[in-house]
Amino acid sequence: MSFLASRRNTLIMAVVGVIACAVAPLNPVWLDSVILTGILALISLSAGLAFGQAGILSMAQGAFAAIGAYATAVCATRLGLPAWAGLSLAITLPAALAWALARMVTRMPELATALATLALATLLEIVARNWDAVTGGYVGIAGIPPVEGFGVAWRFNILVWVFVLLAVLAYENLMLSAHGRALNIVRHDRTRAMADGIAVAPLLSAMLATSGAMAGAGGWLYAHYITYMSPQSLDTHASISALLMAVVGGAGYILGPVLGTFLLNLLGKLLPAQEAQGLFYGGALILILLVAPQGLLGWLSKLTERGSARKVRATPDAPAQASAPGPTTAGPETKTRPLEAAP
Amino acid sequence: MLEYAFRGLLNGAVYALLALPMTLFFTTAATVDFAIGAYALLAAAVATAIPGPAGILAGLASALAASLVMAVIFVLLKRTSEGGIRVALASFGLSLAIASIVLIVWGTKPFVRQTFTTMFEFGGLRVNPQGLINFTLALVLVGATWLILARTQLGRMMRAAAVNARGAELAAIPVIGVQCGTLLAGGLLGGVAGLLILHSSGMDFTASLGLTFIGFAAAIIFGIHSPLRCLAGGLAIGVIEALSAGYTSGMVTSMLPSLFMLIVLLSGQLGAGRYSGDRP
Amino acid sequence: MTESMLVARDVRMVFGGVIALDRASIEVRPGRVTGLIGRNGSGKSTLFNCLTGFLRPTAGTIELDGLDITAHAPHEVMRAGVARTFQTPRIDFQTTAREAVLCGLFTRVRHGFLSSLLGLPHALREEQTMQRRADEVVERMRMQAWAASKVNQLSMGRVRSVEVARAIAADARYLLLDEPAAGIGRDEMRVLADEIRSLADRGIGVLLVEHNFSLIRMLCEDVTVLETGAVIFRGTPEAARHDERVRQLYLGTAAAGEAA
Repeated sequence: MSFLASRRNTLIMAVVGVIACAVAPLNPVWLDSVILTGILALISLSAGLAFGQAGILSMAQGAFAAIGAYATAVCATRLGLPAWAGLSLAITLPAALAWALARMVTRMPELATALATLALATLLEIVARNWDAVTGGYVGIAGIPPVEGFGVAWRFNILVWVFVLLAVLAYENLMLSAHGRALNIVRHDRTRAMADGIAVAPLLSAMLATSGAMAGAGGWLYAHYITYMSPQSLDTHASISALLMAVVGGAGYILGPVLGTFLLNLLGKLLPAQEAQGLFYGGALILILLVAPQGLLGWLSKLTERGSARKVRATPDAPAQASAPGPTTAGPETKTRPLEAAP
Repeated sequence: MLEYAFRGLLNGAVYALLALPMTLFFTTAATVDFAIGAYALLAAAVATAIPGPAGILAGLASALAASLVMAVIFVLLKRTSEGGIRVALASFGLSLAIASIVLIVWGTKPFVRQTFTTMFEFGGLRVNPQGLINFTLALVLVGATWLILARTQLGRMMRAAAVNARGAELAAIPVIGVQCGTLLAGGLLGGVAGLLILHSSGMDFTASLGLTFIGFAAAIIFGIHSPLRCLAGGLAIGVIEALSAGYTSGMVTSMLPSLFMLIVLLSGQLGAGRYSGDRP
Repeated sequence: MTESMLVARDVRMVFGGVIALDRASIEVRPGRVTGLIGRNGSGKSTLFNCLTGFLRPTAGTIELDGLDITAHAPHEVMRAGVARTFQTPRIDFQTTAREAVLCGLFTRVRHGFLSSLLGLPHALREEQTMQRRADEVVERMRMQAWAASKVNQLSMGRVRSVEVARAIAADARYLLLDEPAAGIGRDEMRVLADEIRSLADRGIGVLLVEHNFSLIRMLCEDVTVLETGAVIFRGTPEAARHDERVRQLYLGTAAAGEAA
C-alpha cells in the first residue's frame, strides 16, 4: 500500500483541516473558535497519545503546553528571539520533562500514574504563579508578538491546522510502524512484550515525551495567538479538559481526541452559561464511561462492525474486532482498549 | 510555634475525616473516589443557604445524596469491567459536575459560617472553640470507624473484602454492597468535613479538588491501610501545613499536598505487580 | 574458547522462607533438545524463569556463550538470542497468525522511535523488510494455509506453532518451550515434534519443559529431573525411565500415560 493510501486518518484530518480553513474565515467569531479548537485538539491529541497507546493517564498535558507557551513567551519578550526559535524550545523542554516523569511512573499502576501527573501539574502551576522572574508570576507575560508572517488570523488558522495535521501524521506513522506494534503488545500484555525483546520503559517514556512535545507545540501556538500567557491560561483545568475530550472522542483512536475536542468545545460554546461547563464536561465523561467506554469512535466502530459482521477480511493487516480485550496491530483506525484494567 | 502546631492539629483532624473514606474505598475497591472534596463543598454550600441546624442536616443530606449518585455509577461500571481507572475517572467527572452546580447556584463568593466569636485562652495559646469541636468530632469518628472495623460483623466483612475481593464474594460477603457502603461513608464523612471547614476557615467553589488531594495525601502518607493511619496522616499534614504557613512562604504551603502525594506515590506504596516463582 | 551454550550454574532461589531452587544446574546446547521434567512445585518454572530473565536467582549464575546474563532483564535475554514460549499462550487472539509472527521480529528493528514517528524512508524500508521476513518465516514453518486466520480460530496445536514461529522469527539461537504439548492431541503433537526437531537440526538449542513424557522421549537427547528444587537425575530419557528415584516420584502416573 502506498504511503498516503495507508494513512487513512491523516487523509481524513487533511479534509477536516481544509474545511476548517476554508469555512472559518467567513465569520470572525467562528475564526476565533476554530483556531482555539485546533490548539485544544493538538493538546487533546497529546493526551490521547499518552493514554490510548501508552496507557499513561496524563493529567499534565496542560502543564506541558504551558511550559511550551512560557518558553516561547520568554524567548520572544525577554530575549527578542523570533517565534520559530521559541518553537524548538517549546517542543524540547516539555518533552524532556515528560521523559523524566515517565521514567518515574512507568512501573506504577495506572491510577498511581494519573495521580502523579496530576500532582506534578499542580506543582508546576504553583511554580508558574510564584516564579515572578521568569513567568511574571500571577500577572503573567503580556505582549507576546505573533508568529512572523502569520499575524493575520485566517493565516494563523492555517498554521494551526497544519500543525494538527502533522501531529496526526506522526501519530499514524508511529502506529503503523514496528514501534506502534510494540506499543500494542505492551498495552495488551507487558510480559509478552518483554518476551518479544521489547524494552518497555524506554518505549513508554518515548511516548510520553512525544505527547509532551505535541502539547508544547500547542502551547506555542496558544502563546502567539492570545499574545498573553498566565498561570490560569493553561492550567489543570486545561489538562483535565484535554484528557476528557480525548476520552469522550475515543482515546484509543487516532482521531478520537480531535472528534472529542470538536464536540465538547463547540457544543460547550452553546451552553447558556460559562459556569455550566463543568457540569457539561463532567456529565459527558460519566455518560461516555457508562455507555461507550471506548469513546464515540469506539461506539461508532462497534455499530459498523455489527453491520458488516459477515464480511471476512482477507488481508493480513486488517483491523481487529472490538469484542474481546486486546489491541490491534497496525491498521488504518488503530484502536485499543485503554479503559480496561491492565493485565 | 506551638500555636501554629496546635492549629495544624485541629485542621489536620478534618483532613483525617477526608482521608478515612478514601482509605476504606481504596482498600475494598482498589480505586479512588475523587468526589470526596466535592461532597464537602456541597455540604458547605447547602448549609450556608439554609440557616440554623436545619442547614447542617440539609448539608449532610445533600452530600450523602451526591455519594449515592456515585454509588450508582460505581455499580453500573462494575458490570461492564473491572477497571478501577474508569471508576476514578467517573468520580472525577462527578466532582467537576458538582463543583459546576455549586458555581451556578451559589456563584463565586466563599462560604463561611462563624458560630463562635470568642476564643479560649488555654495556657498561653489562643484556641478557637470550633477547632476543638472539629478535633473532638474527628477523633470520635475515627475511633468509631476503627471500632466498627475491628469489632463488628460489618467490619469483618470489609476487611475480608479488602484482603481478597473474589474470595469474599465466594464466602457470600456482599462485596459490592460493602464498596458502596464505603462510598456512602465518603458522602457522610466528606459532608461532615465540609461542614467543619465551613465553620472554621470557610471555602469557595474551587476547593473540591484541593480537598480531595489533601484527603488522598493524608490517606496514603502512612500507608493506606487503617483509620488510625488516616488520623496520623491527617494530623501530620495539618501540622506541617500550619508550620509552613507560619514560617515559610505561601508558595511552599500550597505545594505541600501535591508534594506529599508525589513523594508517597514515587515510593511505590500503591505497589505494582511482581513475579514470584509462579509462571508469569 | 568458551563453549556455545546456555547454562544455569548452581542456581539457588529463595522466596521468603521457601527454597524453590537448590543448586540447580542445566545446560542447553545448540542443535540439541534438552528436557526438563519434574512434578508440580519441583521448581521447573522457577528455573525456566531464571534462564529467561524473568527472575533473578538468589545465588548462582546464568551464562550464555560465556557471557554472564544473570542480571539481564527479560527483554535483554531475548535480544541476546534466548527466546521462550508460555505455557498458557500469551497472544492477542484478535490478531492473525501472521501478525503474531510479525510481532516476534521486534529485536531486528534497527531504526529508532523517532524515525518511526517521522516516517523516515529508512524506517519505511525496514518495515517492508520485516513484512517480507514475516512471510518467509510463515513459509518455513509451513503455516501459509492458515496464516491469515485469526488466532482465536486456530486449534491449540496451531496456536503453539504460532508461538514457536514468533519466538524464532528473529533468529533466536536458543528456544525454551514451556509445556508446548499441553492441551493438544496426538496428531498435532507429532507435527509439533517435527517442528522442534527441524529447529534443532538447524542449530537451535532447545529446552523442553514438559509433563508429557512421550514427547520428551521423542525429542530429547538428555533430560534433567528436578524435585523440590534440586536436580535428582540427568541422563537420557531411557535411563530416566529406569532410574529408581525418578520412577518413584514422577513416572508413576506418566508411565500409565505412556501406554495410552
